[in-house]
Amino acid sequence: MPNIIDVTDLRKNYGNFEAVKGISFCVKRGSVFAFLGANGAGKSTTIEILSTLLKKSAGHVVINGYELGKGKHNDAIRRSIGIVFQESILDDPLTVKENIMLRGRLYRLSKDTLEDNYAFVKKYLQLDDIEQKRYRSLSGGQRRRTDIARALIHRPQLLFLDEPTTGLDPETRQFVWETLNVMQRDTNMTIFFSTHYMEEAEQADYIVMIKGGEIALEGTPNALRTQFAKDRLEIVFHDEKIGEALLQQLHVSYRQKQEVFILPLASTKEAIELLETMKEDIASFEVVKGTMDDVFIAVQKNELDVLHQKSDKSVSVYE
Amino acid sequence: MSNLFALIRRHRLNFLRDRVAVFFSLLSVFITISLYILFLKKMQVDFLADVASDSKQLTLLVDKWFVAGILSIIPVTTTLAQFHIPIHDTERKVTADFLTTPVPRAILQLSYMCNAIITGFIFSLIAFFLCELLIVVNGGTLLTFAETVRVLLILLLAVILSSTMNALLTMFLKTQNAFSIISTLVGTFIGFLCGVYIPLGMLPTFVQYIIMYFPISHLTLLLRDVFMSDSLADIFANAPPEVLEEYTLMFGVVFKMHGQFISPVVSYLFSIGSIGILLFFLIFLYTRKFR
Repeated sequence: MPNIIDVTDLRKNYGNFEAVKGISFCVKRGSVFAFLGANGAGKSTTIEILSTLLKKSAGHVVINGYELGKGKHNDAIRRSIGIVFQESILDDPLTVKENIMLRGRLYRLSKDTLEDNYAFVKKYLQLDDIEQKRYRSLSGGQRRRTDIARALIHRPQLLFLDEPTTGLDPETRQFVWETLNVMQRDTNMTIFFSTHYMEEAEQADYIVMIKGGEIALEGTPNALRTQFAKDRLEIVFHDEKIGEALLQQLHVSYRQKQEVFILPLASTKEAIELLETMKEDIASFEVVKGTMDDVFIAVQKNELDVLHQKSDKSVSVYE
Repeated sequence: MSNLFALIRRHRLNFLRDRVAVFFSLLSVFITISLYILFLKKMQVDFLADVASDSKQLTLLVDKWFVAGILSIIPVTTTLAQFHIPIHDTERKVTADFLTTPVPRAILQLSYMCNAIITGFIFSLIAFFLCELLIVVNGGTLLTFAETVRVLLILLLAVILSSTMNALLTMFLKTQNAFSIISTLVGTFIGFLCGVYIPLGMLPTFVQYIIMYFPISHLTLLLRDVFMSDSLADIFANAPPEVLEEYTLMFGVVFKMHGQFISPVVSYLFSIGSIGILLFFLIFLYTRKFR
């Protein structure tokens, strides 16, 4: 059973509004999967459906071999998944350990199993110093560690994280991802996450981008970047007017952002020729590699030519 | 069952560690105590001055009246405070966290109810203990074993009745602000509805009827019956029956509805019947809400 999630033609309607319009994708067991989209794209709705919080309107979802919405299968799914919500949702007046253990008891684990699991999450999330502290008194990073420990207390095979690092400082974000990566490697757990930070998305094995309730783009980060994120040359001329005239003379397409001229590149090598031609007039320059940010923004602005060409609007890119 | 117990423990810890919530759940009690010290006690003592020559015995009777009132308010306000937890949970998405576990929604709802009953009963027991202490310090005697059992039974009924009533009252609230408003309103009115802030006989007839149809006031009545019966017998031993009747009607020690005196049995049945009806509505509305 290579896939831990199989989604086929998933739909969700709110009255006449179609929030999710028949999406299909799969997540390989033991992989790190990024689910991206702007606010209102249907991302949270999809995550809520997959985590059994919301009923689907139509479609077929199989998680860990269990069919979503079918009799007792939802219970089995709930035992297979853990969720880290965007908000910190544990109890302020309770200590870290009380919070985690009381939630753990909801999975009906034996006392020994629960103790073992607690020791496991405590080790990975470095809870020794904070386990007796009240959740209220924790810093943002400590809270997030506790939230993740709570989501893992029943040792799920699939961990959902809904924008887990929003609002965290860079050091904590790094800690969160390092910890998750180590755990994922050690336990072969599948990670399914959404984020607004594209550098986080680049760590995924596979990315699905959703827009307006439909899948706009999917593929490995490398393939997506190569295909859709163009490198660019950014130039500041000694004299803007001369620079502008020069570019027009060379028939080079560009756009201008204040004093910076931005030239799309087919390859970084192309920059060498251009710079050589204009070297006398250039005050400064920078060659910028295309990133996932570019891919994301292009998707949001419908800038990918390929989106217009494909009739089904969905693009798959594999390496 | 272990997940139910875990949830109840979680709710109880959340409440008990929130000192502000605990204080506000007992605010009506503090107000009642203040009113009693300020004028309610003196008013009754003056009212009975001609009947009772023994001022110590008289004070004891009035204290018992007060104790019964306090003990019927505490189940209402302490159980209401527990229903802040489900509203907080829904508003802060904690409910979503619970619903991603294998715990059925019915168990989650039941846990809020059980927590209200258990926590309300614990607070009522502590209050009962303190009330007994007050009576003994003022020269009274402890209740007999049979009377203690009756008080515990009445308190249990009061806690269950209050929990179902408060669950209904709060089930459609979505925000903690809305809960605060309801909580303030209940805290203000409960003293009147149990005939504790102002003696029943001083109110207009229609208000008296509202109170007498309010189920919890019957538990106040039952508590007064247990606590006060021996003192009443002592004080009014030589007084004409009309004086006793005037006092008991004036201060809500007995109810007279549509020309009939209400017996304790009727009050018990009325309370139990109210619980049944409220529970029916509660379950009906829950199943509709979460269908």
